[in-house]
Amino acid sequence: MIDTFFPPDLSPAYLRALLVPVAQTIGMASAGMLVAFALGVPLAVLIGTRAPGHRFIIGALSSLRAIPDLTLAILAVVVVGLGPAAGIVALALFYTAMIGRVYGDLFLAADGAPLEALRATGAPRAAIAAFGLIPLTQSDLLTFGTYAFECAMRASIVVGAVGGGGIGTELVGALNALDYHRSLTLILVLVVLVAAVDTFGILARRTPRLVLLLLPLGIVSLWLNPPVLFAFGHAIHTFAGMFPPQLRPAQIVSLPLLIAQTLAIAIGGTLLGALLAFPVSLAAARRLAPLGVVLAIRRALDVVRAIPELVFGLMLVVTVGIGPLAGALALGIHSAGVLGKLYAESFENVPRAPVDALAATGARALPIVAFGFVPLALGPLVVHTLFRLEWNVRAATVVGLIGAGGIGQALFQAQQLFFYKQMLAYVLVTWALVALADWLGERLRLRLGWHFVAG
Amino acid sequence: MLEVRGVRVAYGPHAPPALDGVSLDVAAGECVALVGPSGSGKTTLLRSINGTVPLAAGSVRVDGVEVAGLRGRELRRLRARLAMIAQQHDLVDRLTVAQNVMAGALGRWSTLHALRFLVLPSAAELAEARAALASVGIAEKLRARTSELSGGQQQRVAIARALVQHPVAILADEPIASVDPALGEQIVALLCDLAHERRIALLCSLHQPELARRYFDRVAELVGGRVRSDRRTERASLVRRGYAG
Repeated sequence: MIDTFFPPDLSPAYLRALLVPVAQTIGMASAGMLVAFALGVPLAVLIGTRAPGHRFIIGALSSLRAIPDLTLAILAVVVVGLGPAAGIVALALFYTAMIGRVYGDLFLAADGAPLEALRATGAPRAAIAAFGLIPLTQSDLLTFGTYAFECAMRASIVVGAVGGGGIGTELVGALNALDYHRSLTLILVLVVLVAAVDTFGILARRTPRLVLLLLPLGIVSLWLNPPVLFAFGHAIHTFAGMFPPQLRPAQIVSLPLLIAQTLAIAIGGTLLGALLAFPVSLAAARRLAPLGVVLAIRRALDVVRAIPELVFGLMLVVTVGIGPLAGALALGIHSAGVLGKLYAESFENVPRAPVDALAATGARALPIVAFGFVPLALGPLVVHTLFRLEWNVRAATVVGLIGAGGIGQALFQAQQLFFYKQMLAYVLVTWALVALADWLGERLRLRLGWHFVAG
Repeated sequence: MLEVRGVRVAYGPHAPPALDGVSLDVAAGECVALVGPSGSGKTTLLRSINGTVPLAAGSVRVDGVEVAGLRGRELRRLRARLAMIAQQHDLVDRLTVAQNVMAGALGRWSTLHALRFLVLPSAAELAEARAALASVGIAEKLRARTSELSGGQQQRVAIARALVQHPVAILADEPIASVDPALGEQIVALLCDLAHERRIALLCSLHQPELARRYFDRVAELVGGRVRSDRRTERASLVRRGYAG
């Protein structure tokens, strides 16, 4: 069935027509990140300098982060109206929470002695940030910032799918029109775009000044798509109309089933991802496979990671039909891309001596993996998988959109039918579910001795 | 059992040779200590014997088999009977003691056998692990987690793993460098006793010349990649005259 997508439509006319949506997608990501940095960094400084109320800020950002980007986008479309402005609002909110939280953590973990010296001079918070916190954590800030931008580019396609504009909107349109050749073109454009951001990230880590390029991009995009003050009254009215959140008794009865479906998609997807990722990661680890094989597999994993779960979901619905299976498969394939890379890196990082000792007994390759690499890397392997499960609970609500079932589907249907009170109720349930998963995951990871793993 | 003839090893075309014409024999059941300053080539010599370091010249024979040029299955077959013991930290601490000990059998087990053992070890395999642990004096640790053992106990586990290989020779690279002196002496004594008793050729690098003279049959001194001296110890002459065993 997958061959229905081939060949992609690469006609010059269509590619020319794609310039606007591509620009919109890049614009949404840049503008969203610009706002996210503008709001997130000062919040992170307040957290990092332990300002009064910093615990409240941490709590608020964590709560905001627990609302999946797509759910925020649905809310934004309802309040702000269709188009890139809604996408920008959703991305700005989601990434403000992410930047604020993670940068705050990095600032809190920064070396205390130089900061103590700065504080002793009576410097204000902004000066402590400029002369202490930011230079001390610069490389981590850049690494995470470019990673967040990469995520924002993917997310900007996802929020497009609910009417936020850009490639996402085009892709949903093409799939709904059963135009699979153009769908494939759009997916290829997406892969190229994410690869470009990835390359940009590598360059920016070498030449941090490149990050300033985002400034004009973001400003132009904000200028062209101002988040909609023309309908401010309408936005307030619509938002007020969501209160109080409400569900009918029959819907309340079916809630446990929806939650179970969402969790099943998340767990199934994570398991599938881990099962696929394990053998692949062995071939992607420099200490286990020849360099040529490693590079080829890594490239393939990059492509799989570049395609968001939602896009896999949209493609799979065509082949396996709607339902939780499509959702779990979509999460599984994307997770395999992420976990394959992380597992491979874990294998590359195991200590040499025990593995050399096993090789010195004349053991074959697979027994060395089973007796050495796997037990030695077990901690990181488990933590990466748990982190992915945590993420997949969020993603499982997102793939609900394409008819995978669960809370996400109920939420999207309520929005499509303008039942905003119901929609808000489902948003709250989603939020609670994701927040609970995050909290449990964080406790479990702390217990295992790993606080933060990017992935 | 080990025959090293005129071995030359260089870690690069322009680097000075790490080993320069080294010749050394170790007979079955003989214990030879390798002493010398850091960087004198002790580790390189041990690694060239088990085929990890390629020779630029000379030959190494283990039980009559030429090591140079062995690859793949043949090299594995050689290594299966040539045990290596390192300073420390070469056990997999997340595995149980029994699993670490039986890792010594990986050279003769098929892949399937190895995987089956991890999930479902047979009674015979566990008995073998227990016997090996008994000969190093810690049979009771069979089911312990490796990470719970002390440094000295971990080194005993590494020796037990070597015994499970039924080795013709043991190559030990400063096996007591990271344990305290009293414990170090116990471990050296244990290694030499086992080698004498089971007729295993033991070549062991050490930083303690007095321990070398007390427990080993011969002491070879490496300096700058050459054998400066290779002498029988007092212990060896006592044994010849029947005063020690």
